[in-house]
Amino acid sequence: MPIPRKPDQSVVTTCAYCGVGCGFKAEMFDGRVVRMIPWKEGKANHGHSCVKGRFAFDYYRHPDRVTAPMVRASIDQPWREVTWDEAFTHAASELKRIQAQYGRGSVGAVSSSRCTNEEIFLMQKFARVALRNNNIDNCSRICHSPTQFGLSATLGAGAASQHFDSILQADVILVVGANPTEGHPVFGSMMKRRIRQGAKLIVLDPRRTETVESPHCRADVHLALKPGTNVAVLNSVAHVVVREKLYDEAFIRSRCHWKEFEQWMAFVGDHRYSPEVVGPEAGLAPEDIRCAARLYASGPRSTIYYGLGVTEHSQGSTGVMCLGNLALACGMIGREGVGVNPLRGQGNVQGGSCLGSWPHMFSGYRFVTDDSVRASFEQDWGLALDPEPGLRITNMFDAALAGTFKAIYIQGEDPVQSDPNQNHIMAAMRNMECVIVQDLFLTETAKFAHIFLPGSSSLEKNGTFTNAERRVSMVRKLTAPLAGLEDWEITVGMINAMGYPLRYDDASQVLDEVARLSPAYQGMSFALIDRVGSVQWPCGPDAPEGTEVLHIKAFPRGKANFMLTGYVPTQERTDDRYPLLLTTGRILSQYNVGTQTRRTGNVAWYDEDVLEIHALDALARGIGEGDWASIASRYGSTRLRAKLSERVSPGVIYTTFHFAQSKVNAITSDLSDWATNCPEYKVTAVEVTKLQTSVRSEAGNPVAEEEQA
Amino acid sequence: MWSELRALREDVDYGTPPRDGEPVTLMVDGEPVTVAAGSSVMFAAAAAGRSVPKLCATDMLEAFGSCRVCLVEIEGRKGFPAACTTPVEAGMAVCTVSPRLSELRAGVMELYLSDFPSEDIAGGWSELHDVIAATGVASSPYGPGENHLADPIDQSNPYFLFDPAKCIVCSRCVRACEEVQGTFALTIAGRGFDSKVVASQGESFLDSECVSCGACVQACPTQSLVEKSLFEGGYRRADSPQA
Amino acid sequence: MTQPIIEVERLVAMANQIGDFFAPYPPVQREEGVRNHLRNYWDPRMREALLAHLEATNGAGLLPHVLGAAGMLREATRERTAYAGPPKSDTPGMSPRGE
Repeated sequence: MPIPRKPDQSVVTTCAYCGVGCGFKAEMFDGRVVRMIPWKEGKANHGHSCVKGRFAFDYYRHPDRVTAPMVRASIDQPWREVTWDEAFTHAASELKRIQAQYGRGSVGAVSSSRCTNEEIFLMQKFARVALRNNNIDNCSRICHSPTQFGLSATLGAGAASQHFDSILQADVILVVGANPTEGHPVFGSMMKRRIRQGAKLIVLDPRRTETVESPHCRADVHLALKPGTNVAVLNSVAHVVVREKLYDEAFIRSRCHWKEFEQWMAFVGDHRYSPEVVGPEAGLAPEDIRCAARLYASGPRSTIYYGLGVTEHSQGSTGVMCLGNLALACGMIGREGVGVNPLRGQGNVQGGSCLGSWPHMFSGYRFVTDDSVRASFEQDWGLALDPEPGLRITNMFDAALAGTFKAIYIQGEDPVQSDPNQNHIMAAMRNMECVIVQDLFLTETAKFAHIFLPGSSSLEKNGTFTNAERRVSMVRKLTAPLAGLEDWEITVGMINAMGYPLRYDDASQVLDEVARLSPAYQGMSFALIDRVGSVQWPCGPDAPEGTEVLHIKAFPRGKANFMLTGYVPTQERTDDRYPLLLTTGRILSQYNVGTQTRRTGNVAWYDEDVLEIHALDALARGIGEGDWASIASRYGSTRLRAKLSERVSPGVIYTTFHFAQSKVNAITSDLSDWATNCPEYKVTAVEVTKLQTSVRSEAGNPVAEEEQA
Repeated sequence: MWSELRALREDVDYGTPPRDGEPVTLMVDGEPVTVAAGSSVMFAAAAAGRSVPKLCATDMLEAFGSCRVCLVEIEGRKGFPAACTTPVEAGMAVCTVSPRLSELRAGVMELYLSDFPSEDIAGGWSELHDVIAATGVASSPYGPGENHLADPIDQSNPYFLFDPAKCIVCSRCVRACEEVQGTFALTIAGRGFDSKVVASQGESFLDSECVSCGACVQACPTQSLVEKSLFEGGYRRADSPQA
Repeated sequence: MTQPIIEVERLVAMANQIGDFFAPYPPVQREEGVRNHLRNYWDPRMREALLAHLEATNGAGLLPHVLGAAGMLREATRERTAYAGPPKSDTPGMSPRGE
């Protein structure tokens, strides 16, 4: 009978996929989650959702879920199931052995942006109290670490200045290196609503994405710049602003250092950054650059939203500083409808940044080298802490290759699939003696693991997530963890096994500890969030229910700063051998490395990564629609099916990284941002050639094979 | 658009979006209520705790006025205006319940139920069923005639299906796809009795521009668009053979 | 000499990249900027390896101001609070911080 069964229980929780962090009501019958419906009171999503959070949750019940801890002596041997106690004891003894043999700094940990704030906090605590070093990093390293650096340097705070609703009051929206309609769909919809109401849109993106053009919503200016030229183009925009005197002098005089502004003005005002010079270099018409600058400066309320197209470059941090400089120059900070906002990719990557999962910072964005900050942690945790910065994940792999880094505890991350220059990473992993992976499924990284700790999905634990708006929301446990322990309980088990006694009755006590030790989270607690629904940090005595818009009266350092952002072209250059530029990104239905979404119905829309190539480039290489192509860079090669596309310009090709078999990261370089080592995923020089193939199906996945010559 | 999103509540559907504006006071069933200027009478009635039955209205979407269920009586005005499309005015006196209104609403429901699978009336829990209960109409008095009960079900999307037999062409799905999501994948093709919901150019949902955000499923008052996961053993019409 | 934690070539490349960013700044701030960055963001073993390279080869491959910064690093005492803003300096013409 077509009367649907009515769920008997409904619990409000937060989506674990992207950085919008939609509020959902999880509806269950018989303790099983049957549907997720958007929560109207979710302040990030207001009752809307996207295909992933709304429907693609069944991965938590997928047969591939690992349900017991496993160990093996070497990666060539089969896994052996053990109890939790055995796993913890074995892990601790290995880590201690390795530290004794190779030094305290030869081991490290990586926390997950798909885990809760409490879990991330415990991972950095693990590194600091159990490993006694600062070798702790987070995946925001490979996406938004330049945001942290660049916005801190200019504005004083490395997080979004506005809440999402602020866009409803914007007059001009500048989107740089982001594709909200696919990467942050619910926010993208809100942006489109505002544009249909009359707001203007400027997009900087090499591709003609749906953000640039979709029904009833078209960018007024689309700067389809050549990948790698962000800083030049943004400086050029700033050039127009200063030369045509479009800057907000009153704002600068009161909120910034005028002399610093003058220095910056002279710098970007230089002929080198004029649109007539930069335009041809970046593949743009000079008039378009002028148009964009005038539109942005005129506002009256102009807001910036940007993504990994800014940060994942060798000048990522510099690019972010350009955005900060631009907003300051035009007075677009400190009220509704303006601001500079990173679109953080993962559900809790903002949390990863806030909770001190950094080799150089504690929670609350404070340096480990700061004696007074460190003292507060030492006092609370009862032991001396390493006063020096530790290794970033990129450097952990470098050190592993050099033979000085031997063990790693990775929670909920898959660096072998998601980090660049895959061959380099795999060689590094092989050099390690103890790799501990905590995850839901056996990932690419787990292939190199010696100990596997089965984790819990966001449906199986209590905790909080912090979304891209600094909004902390509840994650509520809907069902018992499949393998018996919530992720935070696993880390507590590891800390205890290493000899530091630690106990929490429940996750709320972890958030209480965070509140004690981080000024921005001072007022946070499960009780508060339960009461008001969600809270944006900073939350404390001055803002007991959180803060929607930052920098209204003052910047964290009092005034803001202008940074000199010289354009340094990336070392990754095209030449005769590698004449095309590859840029990568994501699509709506698949999420990140696909660990979850590949195991849901979402494969109906997208079941393999494809290569988008312009017809002219394809024609020159004899490649037709659907043909298999080999893509090679200086670092490696792989093969993908080609799709002719108008969305890329000639000379630029595009693909996604959702499927392990595509090995897209075998091609990406190991170049990275100067300040944070955020990998330069967005610019790789490649060549594409047609593969003479016979396609053979292998376990359901078509694989291209080269014919015998 | 500020209040339209931020003042939404989970436990009450006001019928039309909340507004920002100067306060306006009016009377609903003899009790005063104050709402922002620009709000609809339906909104005011809901705010006063005197919700009017509705089908094509929901507070996440702008008013449409197609279902004719939310009729009310307004003192000094002729006829029976739809509460959703009538803006409030200071001093207005609205009556949401009367014998004549009950008759009219019942008449509308009988028409809807004449083209709705009769075996799906009892036991249901959709918004349509709430209105069935509120109007006290449990069946249609009309004899058999042309209907949409055998129209093909679209199960192409992995997560939800569309059964036109239950569709009342209220257009909430079309409007959700436009206003909330912004993809504009759905439309109403045809006119009058032939009106039907189609995706893109009459394609299946999966092949169309639909991005499967679920806004239409969320908006549908009759569960004509509904999650497949709510049906154990799959979806089958009562009269169709076993799958 | 202990084994460098990371290949020296990579450290030199990273240091030069930092140097490239500070190139537009006036000379003193350039060196200070690089030094502050290395101090706050690099694992001490990475700094040691760089300094060892400085000793062994007179800093072969390093940009001049990066060389200078590495020298300053060698002499620097531990700062009380770490600083992430623009290079601090009392160069005439630059306004003091914390205004």
